[in-house]
Amino acid sequence: MGLRKNAENLTPAELTDLREAFQAFYEIDDDRGHGFFAGIHGLPLPVYCEHGTALFLPWHRAYLYHVERALTAALRRARGDDTVEVALPWWDWSSAVSHDRGLPTAFRPTADGSTNPLSAGPVVLGSDDLELVRENLPGAISEGPDPVTVRDPEEPDELPRDPTVQRALRATTFTDFSRILESIHNGVHGWVGGAMSAAPTAAFDPVFWAHHSMIDRLWYLWQLSPRNGDPPARVLDRALPPFPTTVRETLDISSLGYEYAAQVIG
Amino acid sequence: MATLEQARTGRDDQTRVVDLVFPGDVPPAPFSRADLVVTGVDHSSTSYEVRVFLNDPDATASTPRTAEQRYAGRYTVFGHGGCYGGDGHCDAPAPGEDLRLAPPLTSFDTYVTITGALQRLLAAGDALQTITLVPVSLTPRRADRRPAPELLHFDDVTLQTYLTATDADQIPT
Repeated sequence: MGLRKNAENLTPAELTDLREAFQAFYEIDDDRGHGFFAGIHGLPLPVYCEHGTALFLPWHRAYLYHVERALTAALRRARGDDTVEVALPWWDWSSAVSHDRGLPTAFRPTADGSTNPLSAGPVVLGSDDLELVRENLPGAISEGPDPVTVRDPEEPDELPRDPTVQRALRATTFTDFSRILESIHNGVHGWVGGAMSAAPTAAFDPVFWAHHSMIDRLWYLWQLSPRNGDPPARVLDRALPPFPTTVRETLDISSLGYEYAAQVIG
Repeated sequence: MATLEQARTGRDDQTRVVDLVFPGDVPPAPFSRADLVVTGVDHSSTSYEVRVFLNDPDATASTPRTAEQRYAGRYTVFGHGGCYGGDGHCDAPAPGEDLRLAPPLTSFDTYVTITGALQRLLAAGDALQTITLVPVSLTPRRADRRPAPELLHFDDVTLQTYLTATDADQIPT
């Protein structure tokens, strides 16, 4: 499957594929499309996302796996090309470039004003849910009958720093690692603001996937370290609904068919 | 251990101050890592962060997050933004375990590693007397963010020290 790359290092062709994949994803209004998959995390009910538990990292790894495949399927259908693939890039919010500029260039509005499907996502919810979101989370989504996600990021230098990431990577148990990383993750959701700042709406923003690709990559890097350890035995054979995937099946990303690129030359 | 009920309100009713004395009556064991462990953290409402200051009961949301101000770290809660179901949908789940999934609003435990701040305090010849918890909302709009004591719900806070640390444990979050 895909080679996930740093969002700042995508080639023009890769960025075009990603944008067209998201646009095609947005235009599918059944259970293969963006509205369905974004809604799995939060609204509409039920809320499936796992936070504050040992399932946080495995559940979101399964989530990215299924969305990455749905994006590729959407792009293939839109182009009539069964060979094209897209991979979810990661946003390294601890990098120097992020501390200088904030959000990845690919996910910001374009300088020339042209449409960028990665700068906001449609919020496909029923009228009752939209009303509650506007009441409970003012500023999360735009006004009007066809809302899209809104962002209100903090200053770039408020993003997590590399030493904080390194502290997570030096954790000596899965539980410790997961708790440190989840708290860092929570802070980035708050940093982006808007829809990303709360669980019910976060996954409607396309930068959600780049953020969680970074979280998943850090778990992968920790798994490569000598400190790697499995999640608690009691959860290894737990399913991760609504996905037909167990915790154990998420532990090896090579078996899930993707890799994280350290560097790609040429 | 100190519970939320035992905490007193800090400046302008915006913060909670917990009495945690260290070293106490028992001689302190050597440690190279210190965690402030918070159990029963609520995440049902707006997202928020909780900034931790040592021995500064007057700390507020405008207090600089610096070593000079005895800032020790923070934890951040990714909130569910309120209830989206019918009456009773988000009531606290009954204790006990069965094969059903835990409700999404089940409270969780977290911690803040405060090694560096605590060691600086002790090196200066002081003892830890109080922990000030400064909750700040992380609303969708930055302009709406403010001190948010109404969001701060937890069961208890304990200080736990270890001898298993690395240098990285001294980095405030």
